Amino acid sequence: MKSVILAATAAIALASPALAQVKVGHLADYSGATSDVGVPFGQGVADALAYINKTGGAGGTQMGVETFDYGYQVPRAISQYKKWSGRDKVVAIQGWGTADTEALITFIAKDEIPYFSGSYAGQLTDPNGSGEKSTKAAPYNFFYGPSYSDSLRAMLQWAAEDWKAKGGSGKPKYVHMGANHPYPNAPKEAGEELAKELGFDVLPAVQFALTPGDYTAQCLTLKDSGANYAYLGNTAGSNISVLRACDTVGATVQFMGNVWGMDENAMKAAGKAADGVVFPVRTGVVWGGEAPGMQTVREISKVSDASGAAYRPVHYISGICSAFYMKEAMEWAAKNGGITGANIKQGMYQKKDWVPAGMEGVCVPSTWTPDDHRGTTTVAIYRANVGGATEASVDELVKAGTIKLEKVTSVDLPRKKEWLGW
Amino acid sequence: MTTLIPCGDFKTNYSADTTIFPTATSRNMVILGIAVLCLAPLVMDRYLLSLLIQIGYLGIAALGLNILVGFTGQISIGHAAFFGFGAFSSAWLVSNFNVPVFFAIPLAGVMTTAVGMVFGLPAARLKGLYLAIATLAAQFILQDFFARASWFSGGVAGTLTEPFSIFGFTFDTDESYFYVVLAYVVVMYILGTNLMRTRDGRALVAVRDHYLSAEMMGINLTKYRTLSFGISAFYAGIGGALYAHYLQFVSVEGFTILFSIQFLGMIIIGGLGSIMGSLMGTAFMVLLPESMQWLTDALAGSAIDRALDLSNSLAFLREMAIGAVIILFLIFEPDGLAHRWHQVKAYWKLYPFSH
Repeated sequence: MKSVILAATAAIALASPALAQVKVGHLADYSGATSDVGVPFGQGVADALAYINKTGGAGGTQMGVETFDYGYQVPRAISQYKKWSGRDKVVAIQGWGTADTEALITFIAKDEIPYFSGSYAGQLTDPNGSGEKSTKAAPYNFFYGPSYSDSLRAMLQWAAEDWKAKGGSGKPKYVHMGANHPYPNAPKEAGEELAKELGFDVLPAVQFALTPGDYTAQCLTLKDSGANYAYLGNTAGSNISVLRACDTVGATVQFMGNVWGMDENAMKAAGKAADGVVFPVRTGVVWGGEAPGMQTVREISKVSDASGAAYRPVHYISGICSAFYMKEAMEWAAKNGGITGANIKQGMYQKKDWVPAGMEGVCVPSTWTPDDHRGTTTVAIYRANVGGATEASVDELVKAGTIKLEKVTSVDLPRKKEWLGW
Repeated sequence: MTTLIPCGDFKTNYSADTTIFPTATSRNMVILGIAVLCLAPLVMDRYLLSLLIQIGYLGIAALGLNILVGFTGQISIGHAAFFGFGAFSSAWLVSNFNVPVFFAIPLAGVMTTAVGMVFGLPAARLKGLYLAIATLAAQFILQDFFARASWFSGGVAGTLTEPFSIFGFTFDTDESYFYVVLAYVVVMYILGTNLMRTRDGRALVAVRDHYLSAEMMGINLTKYRTLSFGISAFYAGIGGALYAHYLQFVSVEGFTILFSIQFLGMIIIGGLGSIMGSLMGTAFMVLLPESMQWLTDALAGSAIDRALDLSNSLAFLREMAIGAVIILFLIFEPDGLAHRWHQVKAYWKLYPFSH
């Protein structure tokens, strides 16, 4: 049996054409605790990379992409990283979670492999470790979109305005909610600090696990504490449980989701309970919206959905942007000394307020500099709008206008030095 | 399990009868094996080395659990928490007291021993399911402690630590760190083997086999049960510390109940009450997901994949296969890999006669 397997493996290895000139790793969570949002984001990255290869590659070079589902388990991510860095000699990696990205910071810096994470933790934005509150240097970490901390800061500024606009009296009460886990906690201190500055009364944090469950107790706590604004730090799956439970117990709180905390699928699943939740959206448009770049996005979507009929949530489009920034940095590297990790990193610094070609109006203009990896500090805040029963498919619900994403505002945060890496 | 001694190889005194290795050949083979392993970094790539390193530090911790579960007959489902405590302790000693990593690793083992003793105290009074629940409490208490005690573990953000270095030479690559782990594996496994040949080690086995008889013989049950927890935690602490300086980053989320269960899986598959089995079981548990990954990679895009349209379920297939292999193992190989190894050896010794 063993020899049969070995022979089969060898045959397959020989049969696959050796087109690839550079290798790229893609770490995704398709089966773990964050797979609810890991699947659309990972699919977006994978489709975009396949599309780039189909349309001539990055600067004429084909990418050999290996997608690995690590089930949100740090040790698995590390062994896979060892394989990619040691055996496959990848030039860049599209990554995913906060804990695994942080575990790899030291390794990728030493191996000079740019790492485009799905984690937007503030700790990853300081390439030199020069920030007042930053704990370590992360020179090879990049991500597309505002950091978790900056998103929360923007939502808190909006909340302070919202409180005034609603004519609220006294101090509004703010509470941080989420699992006691690196990812939901990443922006906790930054958010609570700014909330105090903005005149919020900061309540003790409420914990709920990353997995869906019965969170009635947490909602009762929330109701009793009289919180007005609550930040949901988890991913969509467990947030849905909280929203539904809070709807049941009648806790009237303005929820503010993390960037991974809400999407069209979650709106369908939570139904009316998701109505009114605000959360940051990283792209200029959402599926069904119009922008010059949406033409390309629809083409990319056909890679895994030939019919072109599938509805793609916000994370899918963000995944495409993440892949396209890497591709343009590779193109610069190809012209300036070859596609190596160190050159791709330099490629990220070449342009200011930059949108990848073919993504106009979709990806938000971003700038990375050698001292500041906060790609953007502009946060677009959207509100989830659910107007009725949500039994139909997401696509039908959006077409019928039952679920809508409406843009509330866009907040331009100052690039404060003291916020770097925090 | 009696070992078959080749014809003409007879003992004439007691000390010769209690050597670590039953025959000179088995001893020489182990020494040769270690010598061959020393060459591994010269021929293997980083990925394979990282797997060997994982087998190393997990194997040390698994041996600790086997001393507790397999040799003393206690039960523990909180082993990962002790492993984590060792990792955090070592990082804490290095960053707060500037202890060189070389000394921090054994010191972390000692600190973990103390914690293990505290959580081992209920073992003096409890048995079976009650003890299982007490150790489960240890798992959750320690996990919560890691998440909250920012001064010790960096809280949920985790903590960074230094690589292992000695005389100015830094062991921060897989090629160099492999030797550190190998040295520890050899030392810890010799210690474990020798422990079982001492009076105290035999007392532990007596506690496992019949605690009442053991007590009648004058064995202090409280002392030995607690001691067993201490030793087990010491091994877990050393394993954890090696893990910490390998990754140079420790985060609370690595030490879940699931990881504790995996440790139990390692020693059950390897063989309860077998020193060598601990290492075999660990190797099995580390290599199984990887080999399943190779298999799914091989299947991806192949005719089988196309015929059954597996593309989206390959990842799940891998997970299911891991579970299935473990279950099949427990059905068909309840005594573990070590037992099977002895049977294979016996078969060849007796060939062509079956018994």
